[in-house]
Parts: sequence; structure tokens; C-alpha cells
Amino acid sequence: MNLRSIRDSSELLTRLSNTELEFFETVSHEAQLANGEILFEEGGAAESFFIVATGKIGLEMTIPGRAPVVIQTLGPGDLVGVSWFFPPYRWNWRARALEDTTLVAFDALEVRRECEVNRDLAFEVQGVVAEEVVRRLHRTRIQLLDLYRTT
Amino acid sequence: MPHVSGSVLPEGTAEAMLPRPFRVVSQHSETPDTVTLELESEDGGGMSFSPGQFTMLYVFGIGEVPISISGDPHKPETLVHTVRSVGAVTAAIAALRIGDRIGIRGPYGVGWPVGEAEGRDLVLAAGGIGMAPLRPVVLDVLARRDRFGAVSIVYGSRSPVDLLFEEELHSWRSRFDMEIEVTVDRSDEAWFGDVGVVTGLVPRISFDSTNTVAMLCGPEIMMKVVANELELRGLASESVYVSVERNMKCAIGFCGHCQFGRDFLCRDGPVLPYAQVADRLRVPEL
Repeated sequence: MNLRSIRDSSELLTRLSNTELEFFETVSHEAQLANGEILFEEGGAAESFFIVATGKIGLEMTIPGRAPVVIQTLGPGDLVGVSWFFPPYRWNWRARALEDTTLVAFDALEVRRECEVNRDLAFEVQGVVAEEVVRRLHRTRIQLLDLYRTT
Repeated sequence: MPHVSGSVLPEGTAEAMLPRPFRVVSQHSETPDTVTLELESEDGGGMSFSPGQFTMLYVFGIGEVPISISGDPHKPETLVHTVRSVGAVTAAIAALRIGDRIGIRGPYGVGWPVGEAEGRDLVLAAGGIGMAPLRPVVLDVLARRDRFGAVSIVYGSRSPVDLLFEEELHSWRSRFDMEIEVTVDRSDEAWFGDVGVVTGLVPRISFDSTNTVAMLCGPEIMMKVVANELELRGLASESVYVSVERNMKCAIGFCGHCQFGRDFLCRDGPVLPYAQVADRLRVPEL
């Protein structure tokens, strides 16, 4: 998949220079998931990250004795996975396609390696990942407020 | 002591405080704690209203509460209210059955600026019971859909069972002339939709930030975060409207119970420009 075709919908891709985008194209490929298919498992090595092109991904938490609970859904343009950027590089959740989904998969090992030598790129990627983490923190705080509770 | 003759109330106040008797003609449970009632006046007069206006519902012998109208502004013969049972009066309203009588005063207040949205894109963002005051906007827009640009609805609910107007949401979505995104804070095994706060839906919808009106209704924190998210998308706060509620009593701008800074919400609101109230929404004492 041409990254430029989904560039406008992705904050990460929007912030990259053309040169940086060309590097990302060399370490990415298109991935298709059927409805229900697992993208990654909780505790697994975070060696990739993804941007949703079409469809929907659910981040799930496994609770013994219960069906997995979807705690967040991610749609077109959303970044799937931030654990690949921080040690110990392991997924904290399970990710599953909630409908037929097309993603762009990036080789996290290659991106981390490039970030080691290209500090401008590292700065941009770190900024996007940090903003995504902060955004998710804010949303989680709002969820914790249980705003729509009536009593 | 000087003699004071006549009433000390402004002219017309006494009449405005007098409820009209209505009868319940239909009752539908939306969720375990929320009902939609269709009411018809005993005098046969109906009630014309603008989307976003409210009435005072009086359960005789129990009390009176302000509730936004959730019905179709093009069908004034039937007054529709969607009420969540959260206290003594609303519990009594939720317990009403077909044929029961209720007193109505109104309609009151300033509603949504639907006219201002004509010819422009429209974003409606609702949280929880906040979908009810926006339903008349949706019905109004659908009745003359060609007068509006892109229309988007983002709706957040506590859980799947708390979603209001679920069948209508499906039918609106099936028209393919509106973008509808729904999310819940907490999912269950039967829910295949989105999970997360309603702000997460805003980046997905399409609108021209230079030519859009947004109407937000829900808990104040929800409206603030959605307004912030819309601002990130380039929408000026002057184009964002919110519905603010306080303790409305008289509903005619007389008693002052619903004073919110310089506004009496029953008279000057409940719908106000976000730019006008954003600072006040950050003041805990208000």
C-alpha cells in the first residue's frame, strides 16, 4: 500500500517529511485481517506497529472466566500499538479485528534502529507516540469519571 | 405602611405558571431507566416548539421538573419527552401509563440554532441522555435534508444497554446521507461497535471546519472535551453551541434558580454559544 494514500488520515504520517516517509515505505507492508482475527497477543513481543487503513481493531483485555473485554476500538488513521517504542517492547493488550480490516504494518525493529541514528526522525516519532499516549490517558480519565452514570 | 394594590408579579407571570393538562398516549422504555412519553393536550391545542426548547413537567402532588423536548418539531400535535428516572419526580414520570394525566408548562428557552446551520455542515455530538434534546434537530434536518451540507452525529453512551433511540439510529444510518458514529464507555459481549469516549469519534467525521455548526449536548465535561477536539480540527468555538442546564424552577427568568453568571438558563439558554460560556464552565461555584 502506498503510504501517501493514507497520509492525511494518520497523524504519524502527516508529520513525516517526504524523505522520512520514503524510509517508512521501505519498512512497511499491507496486512489484511478477517473479522475476528488476532493482530497480536497480550505479552507478545512488540516488533511491529500498525496504522488502520480501513476497518476496526479492538484492544482487548483477557479476564479469567469471562469473555475478553474490549477496552478501546481503533479505526481508520489510528495508530495501533505504542508498546513497540518503549522497553520492554511487549504488548499490554490483545488486538483483534472487529471487522474485515486493512492495515499498514511497520517493522518496529527497523524504525527503532533508524531512530538511533536519525535523531530528527526519532524526535518526530517520539512526539507522535507521546501525544498518542497522552490522548489515550486523557480519554481513559474521562472514561473513569463515568460521566453518564445517573446515581 | 403604604397600600400596594394589584400583583407584584410582571404581567402574564401567573398565566405562565399555570400548567396545561396533557394525557399520555404512548409510553416506550428506551433503556432500563429511561422512557419516552408521547403526550397530547386535553385542550387539543398541541405545542409548537423549536428544537432544544424544554417544558416544565408537573406530576400532580409530587413536583415539577424541566425536561427537553425530544419529539418532532414538524408534529406539534404530539409532545414527546424522553425522561431518565433519577429522582422522585422523574421516577413518577417514568411510571406514568397510557391515559395518565400530567401538567405541562412551556415550551421555554432558546433552542439550537438550526437556521444558522442551513447551508453549512452540521456536527451533532451527544453523550448519554443528551441525545434526547438533539433528536428534534435530527428530525428537523431530515425533513429538509437538502438545505444542509454534510451532517454527522457522534454519540457516546455508558454501555450498549444505555443507548437511546437505537432503532432510529439504525434507520438514520441506513439513509446514507448522514455520518453516524456511536461508542460506549464499557462494552459487553454482544457489542460489536466502538468502545471509548465520544471524543475519539470526532477525528473520524468529515466536515468543513470553515463552514460548520456544531451542537453538543451531554455532561459538561463531555461537551468541553468535544469542543476542544473540534477546535483541534479547526472549528472555531463561535460555531459551537452547548446545552447547559441548572436548577430551573420558574422557567420564565423570574426566580433566579438557574442563574449561570449573567444568564438565566431557562430564558437565555439552555442552548448557548460555547464561546460565551466556556470560561464559566470552568468555575466550580457556577
